[in-house]
Amino acid sequence: MALRWSKVSPQLALIPALTVTLVAFAGAIGWTIWMSFTRSRRFPDYAIDPAVWARQYDRLFSDGVWMTSLRNVVVLAIGSALAIVLGFILAAMIEKEKRGEGFFRTIFLYPLAVSLIVTGIVWRWIFNPALGVQNFLHQLGWESANFNWLADPATAIYGIILASIWHGLGFYMALMLAGLKSINTEIWSAAKLDGVSFWRLYVEIIIPMLKFTFLTCAILLSLGVVKTYDIVLAMTNGGPGTSTWTPAYFVINAYSTRSNIGYASASAVIMLLITAAVFLPLMLVTAWQVRRRQAAAV
Amino acid sequence: MNAVSAYETSAAARIGGRVYPRRRRRIKGASIAVLVFLAMCAAFISIPLYVVIVTSFKTMDQIALGEVFSLPTTWTFEGWWKAWAEVCSGMTCEGVRHGFFISLAILFPSLFLSIALASVTGYALALWNVRWAGPFLFVLFMCAFVPFQIIMIPLVALTASLGIYGTIWAIAVIHAVLAMPLLTLIFRNFYKDVPPEIINAAIMDSGSFWRIFAEIILPMSGNIMIVVLILMITSVWNDFLIGLTFGGMGAQPMTVILANTVITERGEVHYNVDMAAALLTAIPPLVVYFGLGKFFVQGITAGAIKG
Repeated sequence: MALRWSKVSPQLALIPALTVTLVAFAGAIGWTIWMSFTRSRRFPDYAIDPAVWARQYDRLFSDGVWMTSLRNVVVLAIGSALAIVLGFILAAMIEKEKRGEGFFRTIFLYPLAVSLIVTGIVWRWIFNPALGVQNFLHQLGWESANFNWLADPATAIYGIILASIWHGLGFYMALMLAGLKSINTEIWSAAKLDGVSFWRLYVEIIIPMLKFTFLTCAILLSLGVVKTYDIVLAMTNGGPGTSTWTPAYFVINAYSTRSNIGYASASAVIMLLITAAVFLPLMLVTAWQVRRRQAAAV
Repeated sequence: MNAVSAYETSAAARIGGRVYPRRRRRIKGASIAVLVFLAMCAAFISIPLYVVIVTSFKTMDQIALGEVFSLPTTWTFEGWWKAWAEVCSGMTCEGVRHGFFISLAILFPSLFLSIALASVTGYALALWNVRWAGPFLFVLFMCAFVPFQIIMIPLVALTASLGIYGTIWAIAVIHAVLAMPLLTLIFRNFYKDVPPEIINAAIMDSGSFWRIFAEIILPMSGNIMIVVLILMITSVWNDFLIGLTFGGMGAQPMTVILANTVITERGEVHYNVDMAAALLTAIPPLVVYFGLGKFFVQGITAGAIKG
């Protein structure tokens, strides 16, 4: 009897998690996809008209604001990639110069504990044209300094990029540091013995060895960028105009401000597709790495 | 510069006579350059915190002068008090303290629900012979990456039909649901390294699934619990979107109150109050970070890469 129960209980214990997966993930995703083909507005309407099943998507891709959102995601991804590069440089320096490692790591990582809403509010204050850093530079005598990025549709997105880099830099540094520490220490001494120059050591040996870490960072960055919402809301609230909208902002706006479930669902489905497009390469590369490691072990 | 070289010399002296003089000089120059660069980056990272702290203690008269980096001429707690107890968010003027207590009320059930669900699931998947464990783990791995927006609308409808929409319970349940895939993977990866001999012996000892979990597995989960707790405390406390969409009017967490206060402010803007409110919201996770930094880093990296 006891033996029987010990076989059944583990299966029973999985029921809550299984329910969550089926209802809150699979079911909810299916529901949203279905909704994106309907003409639901404030309330869900389950009928799909086969003749115009793609109406929400047609509307979406002729909506200038949606195209701005998509372009912003690309700009954000490219701009925030600076955090990975800088994170690697910092990690390499901290790893090489052992002095003050704990101190610098603590400083670089603390923004991660701060919420994106607070980050956005703080940077909004720094970008304040009359009282913030711009005014400080003017008082120093640099009259032409323009740090009022958030007021101009052309530069507002760069303000958001700067704040995102501030927030995420330590995270990428920590990942890179972990990667660097996993490198066999003999490589450093071997390179020194062979007289390999500093730059060649990093460009030709270290960076190729860390390519998987770089890839992980890039994918995590892209996944984070697709979700960008809080920081935009706190810094510009989408403005000036609609210049800093992102897909995540677009979905929330379509749902809560325009009360249009069909439209919000269609844009959410595109978000899911973007995430999948970023995520699949990660899966493939991970599988490839595992296979290669197994082959090497044999 | 002098201070730096003094430090360098003393450090080199401490390393002892084993360092050759010629090599020591070359390393010194490079080290200074590296340390200067690191210090500059550290300044870039810390300046916002400094600016916010000094602004929150200034009077509005001094802020109007526009010297963003200067120290307060008269230190005042006025901004902090107003932010805590008086500032208006929407219709109510109760300060951010209202949100503080709601955030606390959200935090505890979220932690309990998410950790209970994920640790039991991870334990069952790691140590027991469960059918379809592999595919289920794969599905969980994919769920961990799903953007929140695609499941948001049906979950709002679901919580509304359960009658919990607009309460702290809706927010707590959604936190537990969203954290479940990732936390389950973290727990599963931790428990799979438990030696099978222990489990086999426990089963022989007529230990049931739940008794083994309570008497053997939980007592050895201290480390992973701390990591997961820190990960969840910071992510629940810092969450904005879930609180905004599921809190309705009655259960807005601190971040939502803060955003309402600062972003939708009308009329004269009190920057010292805004900055104090932002700091009040940021203090709890910062305390966790500075208190338990090592585990925090582990939590963040565990949240990022699994395997």
